[in-house]
Amino acid sequence: MERTAIALEAAGALDEPVRIERVLAGDAKAARELYDAHAPRVYRLIFRLAGDPDLAQELTQETFVRAFSRLGDFRGDAALSTWLHRIAISVSLNGIRKIKRFHEREAPLEQAESIGIRLSGIDPDLRDKLAHAIEALPDALRVTLVMHDVEGYTHGEIAAALEVPEGTCKTRLSAARAKIRQALAPFRKE
Amino acid sequence: MSEHDEIDDTTRAALRAYRSPPEPPLEEMWRGIEARRLAARPLSQRRAWGAVPGWLAAAAALVIGLGIGRYAMPVRIDAPAPAETVDVQPSVSMRDASVLSGAQLDVPYEVATSRYLGQTAALLTALPSEGSGQVDAQFSAQARDLLQTTRLLLDSPAGDDPDLRALLSDLELVLAQVAGLRSAGDREELDLITGALEQRDVLPRLQSVVAQITYAGD
Repeated sequence: MERTAIALEAAGALDEPVRIERVLAGDAKAARELYDAHAPRVYRLIFRLAGDPDLAQELTQETFVRAFSRLGDFRGDAALSTWLHRIAISVSLNGIRKIKRFHEREAPLEQAESIGIRLSGIDPDLRDKLAHAIEALPDALRVTLVMHDVEGYTHGEIAAALEVPEGTCKTRLSAARAKIRQALAPFRKE
Repeated sequence: MSEHDEIDDTTRAALRAYRSPPEPPLEEMWRGIEARRLAARPLSQRRAWGAVPGWLAAAAALVIGLGIGRYAMPVRIDAPAPAETVDVQPSVSMRDASVLSGAQLDVPYEVATSRYLGQTAALLTALPSEGSGQVDAQFSAQARDLLQTTRLLLDSPAGDDPDLRALLSDLELVLAQVAGLRSAGDREELDLITGALEQRDVLPRLQSVVAQITYAGD
């Protein structure tokens, strides 16, 4: 499904420079089109990082408010989606750090998630251990793991969004997976 | 990456299920983005996105003029036409109306503006207090309608008056925020709205303008 979304996005990308020009000229319809084209994917990633619907909504809004206010600075060197993801990741990591009550919201969220996990046939213990292991990762490793293994981004997309070489991205993913394996080792022996 | 870095299928499946996102609330987020962009702009620039197309403004002016003319005209001009009569020839009153001065033609807009301001004052006065439960869908819908009217009035002759224009611009901001309000328990949004109301002295100014227009019309 992700690949389909990317293909559709690529097809629409031909019109993107025109759309951006129209947004900069104050065209509300073009702004909405741009938002509709990118918001679902941005929201998905932010939700995976934030883990809370309200927080994800707030951070997605902040991402687009910033993006629209800085759209004049977008040079087109990278794809707009890459540029948006860069903003989204920065906004999300800063937002998650600043909002202390995020952790207070985790308990009900965990309960809500466990319902979905049970339905999908994944052991709740594995899910909990995995969630804690992911949350314990440093930001750079966590974002890389979530983008690649959870959301299905390519190394190229992740490297562009994080502004690091692809090799760094692969190293980070490898380190993140090692920590996940380590965290799940006791569970796997049971 | 080596094979040693690979993860097993169970872990991979669990990773895919990690924090499965719900459907993104696209409309709700868009309203929030619009409201925040509006709030961030200087007063003089708040209309770049909310700008109403010229044809719509003209149509709105016509609709407002025709609608309020039904009761504005009999007050100003003697010999009103019977309400149900279809008069092919321009009536005396209509011919008289066509030569009214610019200042007199503003009066219908004052009537429309007065009605709009009254409704807006009522809505903002009834703004839910924190923790009082869900915001009624009708409440948000009314805010959206009033927001649209605000934008139309800003492009009408009613928006030519600098003070009224400033008030309409402030109301545009507040109504956009109210229209995007999801829950009365949303403390931050309510704080933002009440902060905007207080900071710009919106309600007293609103009530003052309503009173002025009411007295002028008496």
